[in-house]
Amino acid sequence: MSNFPVVCGFEGDYGFKVLMVDRSSTMDDVCAVAADLLAGVVVRPVAPTERLRVRLPDATEPLPPTLTVAEAGFIELETIEIYREPRVLAAVRNDA
Amino acid sequence: MALLNSEDWYDIARDTNWTPRYVSEQALFPKELSDVLEMPLELLETFDEPYKVTYRDYVKTQREKDVGAYSVKAALARSQMYENASPGWKALLQMHFGAVSFLEYHSVSAFARMTRFGRAPGMRNMATFGSLDEMRHAQVHLYFAYEYLAKSRTFDWAQKAPRTDNWVIISERHTFDDLEHTRDAISAAIMTNFAFETAFTNLQFIALSADAANCGDFSFSTMLQSIQSDEARHAQIGEPLLKMMIDSGRKAEAQKLIDISFWRCWKQFSALSGTCMDYYTPLDKREGSFKEFMNEWILDQFVAKLEDMGMEKPWYWDLLLEDIEVFHHAQQLGIYLYRPTEWWHPIAGTNPAERAWLEEKYPGWNDTFGQVWDVIIENIRAGRLDSTIPKTLPMLCNMHGLELTGVPGRKWNLKDHTLDYQGRRYHFQSVVDKWIFEQEPERYAGHLSLIDRVAQGIVAPDGVMEHMNMAPEEYGIEGTNYAWVEAYDDALTTRRATGT
Ligand SMILES: [Fe+2]
Ligand SMILES: [Fe+2]
Repeated sequence: MSNFPVVCGFEGDYGFKVLMVDRSSTMDDVCAVAADLLAGVVVRPVAPTERLRVRLPDATEPLPPTLTVAEAGFIELETIEIYREPRVLAAVRNDA
Repeated sequence: MALLNSEDWYDIARDTNWTPRYVSEQALFPKELSDVLEMPLELLETFDEPYKVTYRDYVKTQREKDVGAYSVKAALARSQMYENASPGWKALLQMHFGAVSFLEYHSVSAFARMTRFGRAPGMRNMATFGSLDEMRHAQVHLYFAYEYLAKSRTFDWAQKAPRTDNWVIISERHTFDDLEHTRDAISAAIMTNFAFETAFTNLQFIALSADAANCGDFSFSTMLQSIQSDEARHAQIGEPLLKMMIDSGRKAEAQKLIDISFWRCWKQFSALSGTCMDYYTPLDKREGSFKEFMNEWILDQFVAKLEDMGMEKPWYWDLLLEDIEVFHHAQQLGIYLYRPTEWWHPIAGTNPAERAWLEEKYPGWNDTFGQVWDVIIENIRAGRLDSTIPKTLPMLCNMHGLELTGVPGRKWNLKDHTLDYQGRRYHFQSVVDKWIFEQEPERYAGHLSLIDRVAQGIVAPDGVMEHMNMAPEEYGIEGTNYAWVEAYDDALTTRRATGT
């Protein structure tokens, strides 16, 4: 069972949630966990035209989607933000 | 036998500052328990209680108060008030008795500590009565809750709460242990009597008791008034002490105690009373919004009192004014979503009419908090009740212990104020919560929130309910059985029919 807690602020949510992931989880895996547990529960579902991204608080750029939790150097209860990016924009980065 | 008038003997009788012969003054009154700031004894001995009462008179008055409160209760025992109350009022009563009874009981020992370690005879006298007051408050709470037990098992939490690690209870304990139970007698009096009782309980009980009367709940209303009359007296322990601190050059220390206590009480009060006033109390029975109440009764009066004493507003006043607009709305969302973790039966309080009221009182509510409610409403209308309860834990603040929240929706503003201290990361909702921690890190650093306990592997993620001592039959359930959402169907039907 996943046992690495991250503190997740999902864009639009009223409060932070604790997500259990693994050290080997990629940022896209983290997004998938967040989408599964929070989209359609506290924020609207993710539209096909949108792609989820992880960024550090106050950062403007997302973390690379294949970067793992361990590689990112997260400590337990690291705080992250998850936000939606239109796929057309994501395409520019070649990782839509 | 002719009796002396009390004013002829009172001052001599209560002058109990004798000179100890068998132990030293310091051993009898260690500064950690009596007065960390070591104010001069001659100054403390000038404490002149604003309310002079003899034991004989005290007992007589209290007996009359008790007779009043219990006889209203007895007279209304068969009134079916509870059965006929709205789901919101039921939720309010269930929450109140679970959340408040043990605080009353714990206050008995807080005052007893002032009686034992206070160095001013007048203060000790008032604190003795304070202890007896709090005993009465605990008893009347437990008695009323016991009477309700046949109607709902939720009232068992009046007894059970303090012996659990329920997250709401942990948050309350963390706050009130800090203010009432882990300080020297003078600091505790400034924090409890001046900042908490003068600013909050005093007025809180007046407002709640007015709402209770509006809702036809006369026994609860009478109980609150009865308690309130004691608060008004013993809350006055703080003022003379505050004056002494200012006069002896300890104003900065006094200001800090007030700033810490006021913020900590604000968080509790906002989450528990703010939600009751703006969501649980039936719309047609509301006297005003929580924000209006705060502005009129708490902020204006408290500031006037502070300025009157020569003190300043807490440094975070602008942040407080912002928080008044948002904090309890976010907490209400969390309380509703995580209802199985609460002993009461929460309601939403966001049907179309209630939303219109919220938007009017808090402009922008629909664009922010309303956005999350829209997701919940859609789920309920589509029969996806499962999706109305998140399957992941909420983050809790390491100071106030409640959910770490912000502003949702189109004006999304959610910030985690972190601090790394001795190899551990702490998470705070606001700069004020973090500031409190920084004032005395060793006081707070050892505490583990429920989330820390999960993160450190002390509690398994699926063992949280058990850890909170919540048996499955105690899990909070939706107070209206989702009936409130039907109003949206009606509203939709009307809109379709009228083509608007
Ligand atoms: Fe009390
Ligand atoms: Fe009190």
